[in-house]
Amino acid sequence: MNHAAGTGGLAVSARGMEKRFGAVRALRGVDLELAPGRTLAVIGPNGAGKSTLLRILAGLMRPTAGELEIGGQRLGGTGPGRARIGYIGHTTLLYPELTARENLVFAGRLYGVADPGSRADQLLSEEGLAEYASRRAGTFSRGLCQRLAIARAIVHDPPLMLLDEPFTGLDRRASDRLALRLQGLRADGRSAVLVTHDLSRVSGLADAVVVICGGLAVHRAEGSALAPEILEAEYLAAVEAAE
Amino acid sequence: MAGFSRLGALERRVERTGTSLSWLLAALLVAYVWLVVGAPIDSVQGPIQKILYLHPPLAYGAYLGFIATGLGGVLYLWRGSEAFDRMAIAGAEVGLIFCTLMMVTGPIWAKGTWGTWWSWDPRLTVTLLLWFTYLAYLLLRSFAEPGARAARFAAVYGIVGVVLIPLNYYVIEIFEARSMHPDNLERGSLGDGMGMPFLVANLTFFVAFVYLLARRWEVENLAARAALRESEEGDRK
Amino acid sequence: MRVALAILWKDLVCEWRSRDRVAAMLLFSLLVVVVFHFALPMGTSRAAVTQNAPGLLWVAYIFASLLGLNRAFALELENDAFSGLALAPVTGGWLFLGKALANFTLISIVELATAFAFALVFDLDLKGVALELALIVALGTAGICGIGTLISAMAVRTRFSEVLLPVLLLPTLIPVLVGSVQGTAAVLAGDGVPFDAVQLLIVVDATYWIVSFLAFDYVLDE
Repeated sequence: MNHAAGTGGLAVSARGMEKRFGAVRALRGVDLELAPGRTLAVIGPNGAGKSTLLRILAGLMRPTAGELEIGGQRLGGTGPGRARIGYIGHTTLLYPELTARENLVFAGRLYGVADPGSRADQLLSEEGLAEYASRRAGTFSRGLCQRLAIARAIVHDPPLMLLDEPFTGLDRRASDRLALRLQGLRADGRSAVLVTHDLSRVSGLADAVVVICGGLAVHRAEGSALAPEILEAEYLAAVEAAE
Repeated sequence: MAGFSRLGALERRVERTGTSLSWLLAALLVAYVWLVVGAPIDSVQGPIQKILYLHPPLAYGAYLGFIATGLGGVLYLWRGSEAFDRMAIAGAEVGLIFCTLMMVTGPIWAKGTWGTWWSWDPRLTVTLLLWFTYLAYLLLRSFAEPGARAARFAAVYGIVGVVLIPLNYYVIEIFEARSMHPDNLERGSLGDGMGMPFLVANLTFFVAFVYLLARRWEVENLAARAALRESEEGDRK
Repeated sequence: MRVALAILWKDLVCEWRSRDRVAAMLLFSLLVVVVFHFALPMGTSRAAVTQNAPGLLWVAYIFASLLGLNRAFALELENDAFSGLALAPVTGGWLFLGKALANFTLISIVELATAFAFALVFDLDLKGVALELALIVALGTAGICGIGTLISAMAVRTRFSEVLLPVLLLPTLIPVLVGSVQGTAAVLAGDGVPFDAVQLLIVVDATYWIVSFLAFDYVLDE
């Protein structure tokens, strides 16, 4: 299903995102724009506020200040906004006692998917998890969990994906597999915001990159500047300048 | 910062009332002491009856305090401005003080007039439950992650607590009909010479509550402003 | 509504597979009943026991509920499934409904078993009044679950949640307790269904479920 068609306007438009936790300022005014069908990589040192930013985009957190629009709609509360988003966080959001299939069916029901059973079966075969369908998610390895988590995130076929460090804890083969999968999702026309530490993968997966450091966007790049050598140099320079 | 600019006008107005309120309160306190000392001693209950000028007026603070907390919570959830959350905190702390004083003066009065420290009399019982609700509210605030989450949870619990007050009265009305509380207070059958002191007492404590609430709110606002300034300066370094 | 049912189904299936919540609550309740037997002085007359039975029963129920409610959302904290629920494009109220119904079901099962144990230990004859008793217990449990689900959703994401949950919940349970105990006492005394108590419980339950439904969105946000 091609998602890029029919979405006039920006997939994500965030202006002046601020987030305070008590006296701690995790985000101090970040602007973000994402055109439909494009992927934006968000990189930065630990504690820079990347996860916070992503959770705000997903609607899990409300920003202390700033304006946010997803798919042209102001995000807030429930409704169409959240149905357009597929989120993969640091944790899998899965229930260990339920089987793989049951987890997907449950997620499908949460999103009001028309026929959750067959959708679950379809996703399981797409991810190559069909043989694990009746096994409890609690028994899965990290790689399998991640694949199931991705299936869960797209159960409702969202045009926007938000991925928070999805490569964490995956071995080489699983990482490559994930990268391939993400490229496939991208080819469907989905927009995505990808938080990652893996600078080498950015050029293969993203159209643009923004570096977040200390709650601020300190550097942006796109196109050829995403090549690993260039990106790494610019990243280190930007981070050092910020500190 | 949004909270500050939007509510700045209201906050400044509250601050300005500070001086006029403190004069009013001082005047009332003088009148209060003079009238209470001069009030006739009740023939039946003796001098301890003068707690009449202390205990019921405290009810204003105790109950309005929680209403302020609930209202602050609702406004915070609706508007998102943290100044409302600060009002909720102010309401809870000031209300707790008044409620605690009620829980202290109540038994003293009870012992003096009915001979027992405690009775499960409706109004005293509901006040006791309110007292626990206050403490639970403040405990929730201190245990929750500070910032928006604590404010939000507290606001929700504040709403529950406010709903609880009429619910408790309803419960007690249905089930525990006996009341040892002197109902005659409401009916205006106070003895001669007690009317004026009682009126002034009510007025004094009401104004005292409003004054303390406004001051506490102010303190909280200043603290928040200072914390924000500090973190901004820290960032700039 | 479908979302609520989905959550109900999910909770029951998870509980069936792990059985940890119900087992813990059941064991705890039975222990409490036995403890109560020893807590009453040896010479207590039968009449005195029967008079106090309703209160003791509901204390046991409330303790068990505290345990169950605490675990209800702890299940969601694993793998941060809580966020998974919060992401769903539905009003938070439906999530509350699903959770509350699941709690109601599980706690009711434990209460049923506890009632049997209670009747056994205190030598009460519940057969004649079983239906009326069930009504009172259902109403009381609905009250506990209604407000308990909301509060445990908050408490579970704070420090010392095991301590905070009872502290927050017990003041709100007083109305439920009064209605339930009075109702149970009337039923056990053979007076039929007590309208006062039922009326009170219905009012309290409705209030709690409505407030929780409307407020749940705010509890889901971070």
